[in-house]
Amino acid sequence: MAFDESGHDEPTLDELQLDALGELFNLGVGRAANSLSLIVKDEVELSAPSISFAYPSQITQALLDSEFKELSMVAMDFSGPFEARAVLLFPERNALAILSHMLDPNMPPEELSEFEQEAMCEIGNIILNACMSALADEFGVEFMGSLPEHHFSDTESLPLFGGDQKEVLLILQIHLSIRQERINGHLLFLLSVSSLHALLTCVDSYLTRLGIR
Amino acid sequence: MDRAANAQLMDQLQTGVVLLDDRGCLLSWNAWMTRHSGIAPEDVAGRPIEDVFVEMKHSRLLNCIQQALRFRLSSVLTPGLNPSVLPLYQKPGDRELDQRMQQLVYVTPTCSDPYACLIQIQDMTATVRRERRLRAQSSQLIATTYRDSLTGVGNRRRFDQDLSERFREARSRQIHIALLMIDVDDFKAFNDRFGHQKGDEALIMVASALQEGLRQEGDCISRYGGEEFALTLLGADQEAASTVAERLRLRVEGLRLLHPTSRTARHVTVSIGISAVVPSMELPPQTLVSQADLALYSAKDRGRNRCMCFDHTVTEVRACV
Repeated sequence: MAFDESGHDEPTLDELQLDALGELFNLGVGRAANSLSLIVKDEVELSAPSISFAYPSQITQALLDSEFKELSMVAMDFSGPFEARAVLLFPERNALAILSHMLDPNMPPEELSEFEQEAMCEIGNIILNACMSALADEFGVEFMGSLPEHHFSDTESLPLFGGDQKEVLLILQIHLSIRQERINGHLLFLLSVSSLHALLTCVDSYLTRLGIR
Repeated sequence: MDRAANAQLMDQLQTGVVLLDDRGCLLSWNAWMTRHSGIAPEDVAGRPIEDVFVEMKHSRLLNCIQQALRFRLSSVLTPGLNPSVLPLYQKPGDRELDQRMQQLVYVTPTCSDPYACLIQIQDMTATVRRERRLRAQSSQLIATTYRDSLTGVGNRRRFDQDLSERFREARSRQIHIALLMIDVDDFKAFNDRFGHQKGDEALIMVASALQEGLRQEGDCISRYGGEEFALTLLGADQEAASTVAERLRLRVEGLRLLHPTSRTARHVTVSIGISAVVPSMELPPQTLVSQADLALYSAKDRGRNRCMCFDHTVTEVRACV
């Protein structure tokens, strides 16, 4: 991995590492889709079609530039071989679309009340736990996961992403399909540089175990 | 603090506390749990939790417990997504009525041997009830905000929202959306002849005739302004929309509301302009309004009491039927 701690170079992973991570996260979101399907009693599909890395300051800028100013975020902290703050992020409008499918199709499309924030927390909890348990399973490691917290944020204040140049964000695009509607969001993992290295060590030993490396 | 003091403190909590060992077997629960489940912990201690509450098998709660034990991951189960997970009752009488407590459940791993998993349960019944009441009130307020106070059908705000939502849906699903603009013929002459009070009464009757002429639930006539009404139809192509339009036109004619000063007939009639499209990414919703308007003017020009369509193949107006 080429990674310049002081500069702004993109942290890069080799193709094998990226593929492995992409596959593991898709395994995770696949499990989450099963759990969500059980709740809605209808088919929910989830996929994570792309994976990339960025610095917190870049993501703050990207969100500032995007058309969505109101965001719904569910954050959980994980600690184990590496420490990560995981954030599931949907534009608030998309979060409402998910919730209206999950809770009540006739829900007025106004704003997230406390009731809906709680439900959003649970949905984030399901998706994030599924991803982390997939990683734990495949890496043969253990994580400690905190309870989820729901945050609203306009893009002008994104306190969850720190802003420390020494931290890196792993970004997964998330597609959620439910009753013919496709809803997009992002899953972000905020990792310190040493945690990123630890994650990659896990990926490498996983690849070695599979005989790929 | 010793164990007895701990247990005493736990019993004073107004929250359910359940402790499991690393195999998911019940170690103990507090007095709150005994009170609301009707089961004493000593009667069930040592048994797997899913044997105590048999309905937990294949449930998300059991899944969460396994995640806590196996991966040390925490979970939350909210009343919105998991109505009344456990058979817990606020009052003993609720059990007979099968009225379960609404619950918010936290499942967290613990590492103070022999405890491996902590389940906390909060009674959300009052909160959920309040939430429902507030929602019902707010829906009622919203309904008032979107209703035309004279005729009782949707108002302009309702129309604007219907159009933008349905237009967006038609665009994303690539299906038809049709717009009908409906105008009462020679309504000014009606007002001049009978006065505004009779005019209002006529508008009310026309509005209900139009609204009652709709089959699909969710379709809503809105008063666009003055004596003009509008209707969006999702999934209706030009032919389907024309059929609806013709039915509505006949319904109003069938009211037989006398209109001696009309240039069209002896009764109150309407003219209807229709436009239907499968919206492309570039097409703004306003275009649909201008096209339906154009069709409406042309219906007026051709003698009123008729439906005209905007023909997209030649971008001009033609008769519907």
